[in-house]
Amino acid sequence: MSFSPCPMFYIQTPRKSSSKINCIWLETSGCFGEVISFLNGEHPGPVDFLQDMCHVVYFGSLMGDEGEAAYTHILEVLKQNEPLLFIVDGAIPLKDQGLYTVVVNYQNKPITALELVKQIAPHADYIIAAGTCACFGGPTAARPNISDGKPLSEILSSTIIHIPGCPSHPIWILGTIGYILQYGIPKLDNLGRPLIFFDQKIHEHCPRRSYFDQKIFAKNFGDPECLFQLGCRGPVTATLCPLIRWNQSNNWPIGANTTCIGCANRGFPDQMEPFYSL
Amino acid sequence: MSKKTLIIDPITRISGLLEVQVHIENHTITEATCGGMQLRGFEQMLQGRPPLDAIYLTVRTCGICSLNHALTSTLALEDAYQVIPSPNGRLIRNICLGLEMLQNHLRHLCQFVYPDYVNFEGLSPVAKSNPSLCDFRLPSHINLFLVKDYFTALTLSRNAHTALAAFTGKAPHAHGVFVGGITTTPTIVAYEQAQSIIKEILDFATSSLVPNLYTLGDYYPEYYTLGKTQGAFLSYGLYDQPSDPILYGPRGTFINHHLAPLDIHLITESFSYSWFNAPDEPLPLESMPPVPNRQKQGAYSWVSAPRYLGLSLEGGPLARMTMSGLYNHGFATMDRLITRGLEIQKLCECLLAFLEQVTLEDFYNSDWVVSENAQGIGLTEACRGPLAHFIQIEKNTIKNYSLLPPSTWNLSPKDNQSQPGPCESALLNTPIQNIDHPVEIGRIVRSFDPCLNCAAHITSPYKKDFIIQVI
Repeated sequence: MSFSPCPMFYIQTPRKSSSKINCIWLETSGCFGEVISFLNGEHPGPVDFLQDMCHVVYFGSLMGDEGEAAYTHILEVLKQNEPLLFIVDGAIPLKDQGLYTVVVNYQNKPITALELVKQIAPHADYIIAAGTCACFGGPTAARPNISDGKPLSEILSSTIIHIPGCPSHPIWILGTIGYILQYGIPKLDNLGRPLIFFDQKIHEHCPRRSYFDQKIFAKNFGDPECLFQLGCRGPVTATLCPLIRWNQSNNWPIGANTTCIGCANRGFPDQMEPFYSL
Repeated sequence: MSKKTLIIDPITRISGLLEVQVHIENHTITEATCGGMQLRGFEQMLQGRPPLDAIYLTVRTCGICSLNHALTSTLALEDAYQVIPSPNGRLIRNICLGLEMLQNHLRHLCQFVYPDYVNFEGLSPVAKSNPSLCDFRLPSHINLFLVKDYFTALTLSRNAHTALAAFTGKAPHAHGVFVGGITTTPTIVAYEQAQSIIKEILDFATSSLVPNLYTLGDYYPEYYTLGKTQGAFLSYGLYDQPSDPILYGPRGTFINHHLAPLDIHLITESFSYSWFNAPDEPLPLESMPPVPNRQKQGAYSWVSAPRYLGLSLEGGPLARMTMSGLYNHGFATMDRLITRGLEIQKLCECLLAFLEQVTLEDFYNSDWVVSENAQGIGLTEACRGPLAHFIQIEKNTIKNYSLLPPSTWNLSPKDNQSQPGPCESALLNTPIQNIDHPVEIGRIVRSFDPCLNCAAHITSPYKKDFIIQVI
């Protein structure tokens, strides 16, 4: 029996893997939402990412290999002295030496997210924290934070590109990767966020801004007016949601007649609550 | 006599972090354990927070079935506050639930399961690095059809989220599903978009995915036996209300081929093999929360072992299709995959019928008030089985919140009687052809669509005689 590789018309213009940057996508303590949001990318989307943008050597959710064979890809790429893009989604638990999140078991030894991140990071040319948990702790580190989850920046001293959001928008993630490939690290703000995506507050572009200016406020979810008095965090949240919307749907949280809950902010969720002010 | 212990960690292509350990004697699995490797402690996190915030917080337990949590949490709050949602809003919420499941099922089958059977050589990192050792059997022209499914499913699962976000603002982690209905005012564009996307998914399932799953079964016939469980099922009911235009999965249990009504009080949880300090006796759901202890001797999972009448029950598409009488072939690996494909078709039919029922009335009923002290329960079917949320509210804050998600059932460890969980029992007695490349294990485990992000949880104290209406 013979097995044919994927036909050329699915693997469009494959580049030699050496011409693409090696990439490790590591999922730590989170909800899997970052991966789902990434898969929701369209142009570019996951196919562009896997085929053209990066040579992905480790990506738990998508990779064919499992167990030690999967982890071996990390060990091999760390031996090579080639450019490496390291993407982490999820917070890093410290409790019990990190054992609240074990990512790999290698030769009968559990390897925690904490160990793995410290092992890979020194070899990475670019490090991206994807999602609010990796950037700021997020829901994983919300009080009482029984796993003692920490953002990546409290584990590593390297430069980290922060792409917050719960989840982050696929355009922010893939757009940042595209920027890195073409021009290097984008200009970051004081929280490590690329200014190309996190420079403007929701409030500046909100289609309900005229209601706010005229002080006409919604009384309930479902109302069409400004949601400020119900606790909308749009005025303190810097994302492009009102402009690029979500899931190719032309909708977004305020479009659903609900408040922005500030899911991309440092301090989410603890400092963004209540999400609905009665 | 050859003996070997194998550890597979990570089980890739699932949601979350799972470790499987097996003992193999004479090429046969004699013992199997499934360990959830992550604990966040969502229930403790919810304590002391505003009750209505539970909807936005519990969705964040799981990225692949977040809408299921949004709806279940909303139902628990509606139960607590005695709110009747707008009928139109209820219709849209049912459609949202189905769209999330379509997204999940497409990704599970094509992105997660297919690389175990289909050769993706040339597509890193989806391709196996040692394809000659992976028991790939499909002739190249058939392999090609399934490779094509992979790419189609990437598009259609994304489209399912497009349709969902038109109603919920974004996906995952929806807005709009809320106490009283759905806060969004769906536009005719959203309505027609949903209709079009659902029809497209139905067409794909009918013309390609489901036939290809049966073809897979033809080339891997032993998987109609491997990964078999006893077929003891639990379902909280999916589209089973008398007003639903197409009745699908009934609520209840299926034990010894017998359908019986659900009694939530018969659920207990054992923590004998979980990293928690708790009595060895199984605890009723209203017990005090156990304390995490990662050093506990003999334990191997953050997941607890829920039992019904002391039995380990399985949930998911196979349970729902079997209990609804739509599938009666068997209870093994290939049956789980095929019923997931068949459920895509069934869900599409149900959703199109729900869309027909949508009227031009309001979608949201804002005419309700909160109660200072209340308690409620939400029961739904999520992608991979039964999902329960329990809320207890005191002085307008959450006193306790408890989640019992489906993978807690399916991926549960052994209980105090050493009775294995469904996935563990599916692995037992499996013959392993090549001990150095045990492809059988991943195939069996993935058929349960494991999700370890929300499976590990800490129960909270809850004291109420739940009144569950059984229809």
